[in-house]
Amino acid sequence: MKLTVDGVAHEVDVEDDMPLLWVLRDELKLTGVKYGCGIAQCGACTVHLDGAAVRSCQIAAGDAEGAEVLTITGLGQPNALHAVQAAWVEHQVAQCGYCQSGQIMQAAALLENDSEPTDEVIDIVMSGNLCRCGTYPRIRAAIHTAAAKMKEA
Amino acid sequence: MKHLALCAAGLLALPVFAEGENVTITPPASVSRADGLAAWARIYQVTSHPRCSNCHVGPDNIPMWSGPSYGRPRPHGMNINGGESRIGAEFLACSTCHATTGTRANDAPHMAPQVTADWQLPPVEAHWFGKSSEDICHQLRDRDLNGDRSYREIAEHLDHDVILHWAWSPGGGREPAPYSLQEHVNDVLAWGVAGMPCSDD
Repeated sequence: MKLTVDGVAHEVDVEDDMPLLWVLRDELKLTGVKYGCGIAQCGACTVHLDGAAVRSCQIAAGDAEGAEVLTITGLGQPNALHAVQAAWVEHQVAQCGYCQSGQIMQAAALLENDSEPTDEVIDIVMSGNLCRCGTYPRIRAAIHTAAAKMKEA
Repeated sequence: MKHLALCAAGLLALPVFAEGENVTITPPASVSRADGLAAWARIYQVTSHPRCSNCHVGPDNIPMWSGPSYGRPRPHGMNINGGESRIGAEFLACSTCHATTGTRANDAPHMAPQVTADWQLPPVEAHWFGKSSEDICHQLRDRDLNGDRSYREIAEHLDHDVILHWAWSPGGGREPAPYSLQEHVNDVLAWGVAGMPCSDD
């Protein structure tokens, strides 16, 4: 089946019911996308599917055929970080870092929908992305910073 | 022309109500009030069951987690709020976790359920969670609150709105709604033919 991931067209030979997360990590070796729980309970595997944040462990490969997938690898580049990634660095959000790929992808989707989210909205939208290190206050601060930077741009 | 006329006559001779897509929709000829109330009692068992009522929530737009496997009723984890859109558009879309697909089975405990329709809360007018049998009965027969549906159209809604079918095959160790989709549709039809009675009429 055909998939476009991070702007690159791929053809993969997988079963229709293979989770997109498996396709990304095991077939395309995009290991920036993290496996956390496999049942949409943690958010670590969040990617964008045709612009919308989704848990890639819940998307069947067959349902993603022809879709545009964006992962943390394609969100920004080391010399041109996405505003959310830059804010993550500025606030030193990550502790262990395992959940941060999903956190950043969810935050980027949030800012596409709401350019100036309140703390309440951030808390509602980001609560499906768990962080065992408890970096939530820094996540919230980084999202505000990214929102401000994106408004300036 | 004669052939067409015979066809038309044949169509007229067919039962008024045809087969549904997934269930048979055949209202009984007549139903007593007592039998209508008995049908309603079974309908209420379904409407108040966690597989149905957990999403039929009020204007706070917060779905519930309740039922035998949840211990005590509690708001949906992860701070979920469906918003006035009832699909989470204002915050986190239901579809972030509840994929729209018929490809994968709902076979993993605690996995976000998924069906071949977009996951969503019902309209707020259909607020059933925590409400009495009488309250829900009055809501369901009120066309201003039931999507402007006759009893027949409620049965059709149950037939073709596949998100509702999940209640009877929720998977993941969840307790299904009582009876079956067909039995529930039959009860709705019987209640309707009886005049949609409520016990406090």
